[in-house]
Amino acid sequence: MIRTKVRDASDKQPAISRYRSRHVLSDAALKRLFLWPTLALLISINIFPLFYSLYLSFTTYSAIANQPPVWVGLQNYRDILNDSQLWIYFRNTGRFVLLTVSLQTIIGFGLALLLREKFRASGVITTLILIPMMLSPVVVGLFWKLIFDPSYGIFNYLLGYPAGRGPEWLASKELALWAVVIVDVWMWSPFVMLLCLAGLSAIPDYLYEAAEIDRASSLYQFWRITLPQVAPLLLIAVLFRTIEAFKTFDLVMGLTGGGPGDATELVAVNLYRLAFLGQWNTGKASALAYIVLVIIIAVSNIYIKYLNRIKEG
Amino acid sequence: MSKRLFVLLTLLASLILGACGGEAPPAAPADQGGSSEGTSNQPAASSNVNDLTIIWAEWDPANYLQQLVNDYTAETGVQVTVVQEPWGSFGDRVFTEFAGKGTSYDLVVGDSQWLGQGATQGHYVELTDIFYTELNGEALAPATVTAYAEYPKGSGRMWAYPTEGDADGWAYRKDLFEDPQEQESFKARYGYDLAVPQTWAQLRDIAEFFTRPDQNLYGVSIYTQKDYDAITMGYQNVLFSWGADWGNPETYKVDGYINSPEAVDALEFYKELYKFTPPGSSNVFWQESIDHYTSGQVAMAMNFFAFFPGLANPASNPYAEQTGFFSNPAGPTGERHAALGGQGMSIVSYISPERQAAAKEFLKWFARDDVQKKWAELGGYTCNATVLNSEEFLNNTPFNRAFSESMQMVKDFWAVPVYGELLEVAQRELHKYVVADEGTAQETLDTIAREHTQIFERAGLLQE
Amino acid sequence: MPKVEHQGRARAVKTVRVTLAIALCIIYLIPVLWMLSTAFKPREAIVAVPPKITFNPTMEGFVSLFTKRSTLTRMQMEQYQQRTDLSWWDKVALERGLAIIGPSQYVDRVKNSLIIAGISTIAAVTLGLLSAYAFSRFRVRAQADWLFFILSTRMLPPVVVTIPIFLMYRQLGLFDTHIGLILLYTAFNLSLSVWLLKGFVDEIPREYEEAALVDGYSRWQAFRKIVLPQSVTGIAATAVFSLIFAWNEYAFALMLTSDRARTAPPSIPSVVGTAGREWAATAAGSLLFLIPVVIVAFAVRKYLLRGITFGAIRQ
Repeated sequence: MIRTKVRDASDKQPAISRYRSRHVLSDAALKRLFLWPTLALLISINIFPLFYSLYLSFTTYSAIANQPPVWVGLQNYRDILNDSQLWIYFRNTGRFVLLTVSLQTIIGFGLALLLREKFRASGVITTLILIPMMLSPVVVGLFWKLIFDPSYGIFNYLLGYPAGRGPEWLASKELALWAVVIVDVWMWSPFVMLLCLAGLSAIPDYLYEAAEIDRASSLYQFWRITLPQVAPLLLIAVLFRTIEAFKTFDLVMGLTGGGPGDATELVAVNLYRLAFLGQWNTGKASALAYIVLVIIIAVSNIYIKYLNRIKEG
Repeated sequence: MSKRLFVLLTLLASLILGACGGEAPPAAPADQGGSSEGTSNQPAASSNVNDLTIIWAEWDPANYLQQLVNDYTAETGVQVTVVQEPWGSFGDRVFTEFAGKGTSYDLVVGDSQWLGQGATQGHYVELTDIFYTELNGEALAPATVTAYAEYPKGSGRMWAYPTEGDADGWAYRKDLFEDPQEQESFKARYGYDLAVPQTWAQLRDIAEFFTRPDQNLYGVSIYTQKDYDAITMGYQNVLFSWGADWGNPETYKVDGYINSPEAVDALEFYKELYKFTPPGSSNVFWQESIDHYTSGQVAMAMNFFAFFPGLANPASNPYAEQTGFFSNPAGPTGERHAALGGQGMSIVSYISPERQAAAKEFLKWFARDDVQKKWAELGGYTCNATVLNSEEFLNNTPFNRAFSESMQMVKDFWAVPVYGELLEVAQRELHKYVVADEGTAQETLDTIAREHTQIFERAGLLQE
Repeated sequence: MPKVEHQGRARAVKTVRVTLAIALCIIYLIPVLWMLSTAFKPREAIVAVPPKITFNPTMEGFVSLFTKRSTLTRMQMEQYQQRTDLSWWDKVALERGLAIIGPSQYVDRVKNSLIIAGISTIAAVTLGLLSAYAFSRFRVRAQADWLFFILSTRMLPPVVVTIPIFLMYRQLGLFDTHIGLILLYTAFNLSLSVWLLKGFVDEIPREYEEAALVDGYSRWQAFRKIVLPQSVTGIAATAVFSLIFAWNEYAFALMLTSDRARTAPPSIPSVVGTAGREWAATAAGSLLFLIPVVIVAFAVRKYLLRGITFGAIRQ
């Protein structure tokens, strides 16, 4: 695993321990009590699957074949990296993640800015906007397929196209990825919004008041006050959205099945195809999953580095 | 990661691995004293097994099966439950169960393509020795035995009892076909009468004729979905009728078969049909085809017979009264074939011998002529030829005749253990050509031939 | 700048802001409203060309959702129509030529969902808050590594770990049990829970606890009396996110349960009859399934929006 530093206040300041003697439960004991249930659960649930699939990624193995794994070394990894098809899927995934995460950030942040100052219906509106996120991705895929249909769908209808005449969102190579992005952004911008709202409400008013006195432009206020203050929570939101975006598959399966052609075949979609759906190529699927994992780790590290820089101010 | 942490994690991992590898799976509940001879003469009543679980997909026929097996409970006291899994994940669920040598289910109503894996990887119990004796195998339509029970094809070894026969057929709008004005203008344009198509070429003409975007009317709805096997199923209907095939079923030679001139011609034809589908038809399988048809958008719709009851029911299809059905038309040389759907029922090999015996008893009961007759009455698609050919069955619904006809001419995709890999290649390349409009038919099929050859070589089926 | 003009501008900005927020909210909800209308639509209205905004509402979808049905032959139908003991749902089904043969498993599965998602959410938030506090306030050896390990448990595509987890669960007897899914969902949510709550706890100035400790509070009391109330926004947000995940999780529920502990998500999207996809039933099932989460979100919305009140003193 790549080494990361998540720096934190506790690195800089000594932990508060001098009052310990006065109390029954020492800080050290409390720390253990607080930490170990979580770590124990995570380790016991995750370690076996992680290591077992890492091992399988170096073998030829099908989970259903009733035959033991055959060690093939790096063969699976070589096959994957030499497979020109998979490079197309990686490119699709890159585009998808970039588009969907940046749009979610912009829209989520925008919604939060709109809703930060309370008005009479703001609580209700904020909660209502969370609804898309509460739906199951499979159901969302299914209904958006109906919504995007050029004939009986409401999307083109509301855009003003007569039935059957508008753009074929899911059938056109150029639009299909955008269609998936639209749905993903619709579904997950509220996630970013909610965390941004929490961050925004923490910004002390005096910062703005001081800027007001200095006659700072609102753009300046946004760049110098709002953004940096929201950044820690925003980055956590973006980090989690990025991780999830790399893994998106059920939404795509519901909407386009990866088509037309290869247009929306994301790596996670192909991974599912490889691991299940009659193929059951467990060894190669594990290798592909580890490649995805390494990419996600690398990307996460970039975020975390930023996060730390911001926290250090 | 710090060294100490790593050591800790590895230790834990090996501990868990050890625990998992070392422990034997809990033994099935002890059945003391019960004789577990494979084919005891006494019906299941004497055995200790008083419940059986069947897994099938989540759809109406599974409800019919549940209704049917209630009779078995009444006769023998054995409680039979049909567990239903969603279609989209049915296969994944069943095979995950097999991967864990699970005993949750006693019988599985599995897809025809699973036979290879079920047989060679040891998930299914072999039924060869009882198939023609106790399972009433003679009564079955021969094509269904090959399709749903036998593996390898032609070997005479049986692994399932054909349960729900199914094939691709067509629903069409009689009101459009029989409209005198339409008939007149069709004849003027194509030189022959507008009627149920006898050949694929006629089907194409009719599809072209009814494609009128300004009226929201299109010629056909055909399978194009990329997910699992849809576009391959759709193309097969044409491929087989052109006299071509995926390869040689005995030698597994592919090159020269799937990329033969006939196959190329068939693929170009299928792509032409795609022009006459409603907009947004890039991801169509049976659900979407039904939606296209019931919304009045298409004159003809390709679909599985299993879903024709819904299309003939005025409550679920506003055009039901004007709907007719026909089986696949003939190809250029007069050959007629239909792509196969449907499932056979197999016994899971991981259950105890005693439960296997009870499952066999159940299959014997299910295979009886009177039970198969009742199965057909409830809405199941029996494979029992006596029932299939009875006048009563043929006239029972507007589509049973076409169904009976189709079941005599079904052909299937590869049922070998590596069918999944073969299918993935076929799906990907066919979708690329037909829907995404990339490359030519020849290039597409050459790619499929090349990759299929590699897969067969790797699997040791094809000797160079 | 004259004060009056300034106030006038502020009011105008607010009006624009409110209007825009309401407009966006409506746009955002169109697909949900479309689902809602689908739940009450007769089949032919769902796939009508062009789409239908008005229609005669029917309960077909809900009847399909809660029952198992079989198709009646014409003769059976006539007999059936003679019966006088039919309930309204029998009649709805009869209009489609169907007879109700029993209840569907929807209710049981929603019950399972409530148990599994509810408990795992509480567990994930509790464990997450405790460890977030520990990471934030104490010096933990290899802290960065541990935090990254926690995050990384969410990174591996679930498709690949389902098989190992399935094998493990079968060995441990956790297959098709409530506790099995609860453990799994708790573990999965912990990554978000720990990271998010640590973000919130970090925001609470430690001076408050220090002051409390000087005043003679024990560490535990300080945590309970000061940190807990101050992180309520974070707790609410984490709880909502965790609940949403556990509530809608699909792949694990499908692979790790059979019948006893099966939750609702794997079966809702596939309500399929011989007449194809039962759009209305799918919509009805999804919307009913939405209600509990919406209720929770509404119940905690006050906390969600309260923000981090202590932020004012941070440097």
